[in-house]
Amino acid sequence: MILDARVYLGHSLFNYGQSLAEIVASMEHLGIDKAILAPVKPRNYHLAPMNELVADAVKVHPERFLGLCRVDPWQAEAAVEEARRGFQEFGSCGLYLDPWEENFQANSQILIPVLQEAQRHNKPVVINAGHVRVSHPAQIRDIASQFPEVQFVACNGGQINISGILQFEARRMLEACPNTVIDTAGTYREDFIEEIMTEVGEERVVFGSGSPIYNQEFEMTRVRFAHLEPAQKQRLWGLNALKIFGAKSR
Amino acid sequence: MIIDSHTHVDRFGWYDPPETIIRLMNEAGVDQSIIMTYVDAPDVKGSIEYIAEVVQKYPDRLIGYARMNPRRGEEAQHLFKKAMEEYGFKGLKLHPAGNRCHPARQETIDLIRLATRYRAPVLFHCGDEEFTLPLQIAESAKACPDATIILGHCGGYFHTSDAVQVAERYPNIILETSAMPYPGLIKEAVERIGAFRVLYASDGPGCDPTIEVHKVKLAGLTTADQEAVFYRNIKKILDNVTSEAQST
Repeated sequence: MILDARVYLGHSLFNYGQSLAEIVASMEHLGIDKAILAPVKPRNYHLAPMNELVADAVKVHPERFLGLCRVDPWQAEAAVEEARRGFQEFGSCGLYLDPWEENFQANSQILIPVLQEAQRHNKPVVINAGHVRVSHPAQIRDIASQFPEVQFVACNGGQINISGILQFEARRMLEACPNTVIDTAGTYREDFIEEIMTEVGEERVVFGSGSPIYNQEFEMTRVRFAHLEPAQKQRLWGLNALKIFGAKSR
Repeated sequence: MIIDSHTHVDRFGWYDPPETIIRLMNEAGVDQSIIMTYVDAPDVKGSIEYIAEVVQKYPDRLIGYARMNPRRGEEAQHLFKKAMEEYGFKGLKLHPAGNRCHPARQETIDLIRLATRYRAPVLFHCGDEEFTLPLQIAESAKACPDATIILGHCGGYFHTSDAVQVAERYPNIILETSAMPYPGLIKEAVERIGAFRVLYASDGPGCDPTIEVHKVKLAGLTTADQEAVFYRNIKKILDNVTSEAQST
């Protein structure tokens, strides 16, 4: 069973995007069973209609998709209401926060109300991590340590740095905060995935492609060719994400 | 045939013995790899000699580049000459994020000009960190038009557009595919600057050569262009390197 834990639906203000039909076609071509859809930020900046787009996709393909609810914490009480709408009306499997595109620091106090809402609903929080000025792994660690009962998924291996210098900080985040995991998209040094799985915990990494920002087929090679045992790979391909997001195995 | 233009062997920084990259090369079907340390000479004593020993141990599989700190001035120049003339090294590696020496700083330019006298390529770490941006490295390419300047990682995650743009601007810039996560960028680079100016590399052993080979295959190049990227281009560059400094 292969579950892609991060696939973006819609066409983004930032010049990337894909339709539901394109997502389904790619999944069928690559043998991906399930995906967790995250809304993009559209040209008109309004996230609510994109959350509805994701909810509609999940309604049409309930066996194939789960959906995240994206909110902008700068919207304060409106963001909390949108998160509540996502959890209660759409059955969103988690919250999606993007410090890079919504321009806030991952450990900012403006996150507190939306994280409290996620905690109230016992939902995981996916954060676009590794952007050093807004979602440095030390910042993710800081906010995750304030919400030990909330499960955080740090995207991009928790670190985006082609020198590898952030790996140390991403590992410190994982070791300090048992409520954090990373997804595999774009991860610098594929052996970092192997290192975390074998030395920190087999449950601490999920396969997520970050498609279409990253190439879904290429991102699968990080798991396919990882020097890990078959049982560890099964966890990576989907068992870990199933547990975190409460999805049912098909 | 595949030649990997950027890998690491080290016992000083991250510990990666030659057997690690050899094993991964065998898994990936890579014939030869260019190796370098993670640390700079002459800051770390013995690092050049270590690469020389490793290449001597695996002469058919491994090729040495000298990773240097230009700030060390004449000491660095002396050691680089020794690497080229006595140890048979084939190129220079510069990592300005590590040694904080700007690509356009005079000491860097001097070392690049020395490498050019051996017709040796200069491989820069080129990513998103300060002093490693494509626009910064382009200044050294402009100052040294006879040098072969390779942008390792092709601008990293966020500066890939700049990497292709400066390669269009300066014909002595070559792009290298390691670690950056975009197969489509390889296709774009080939279309915009020509397949003869793009090199396959993995940045192994941390980045798995098997995965990095797949990245190039996913780019959808023609067979001829793929062969150029996998080995013809770097072979031509390396065949041109001399062990004696040419007059300027």
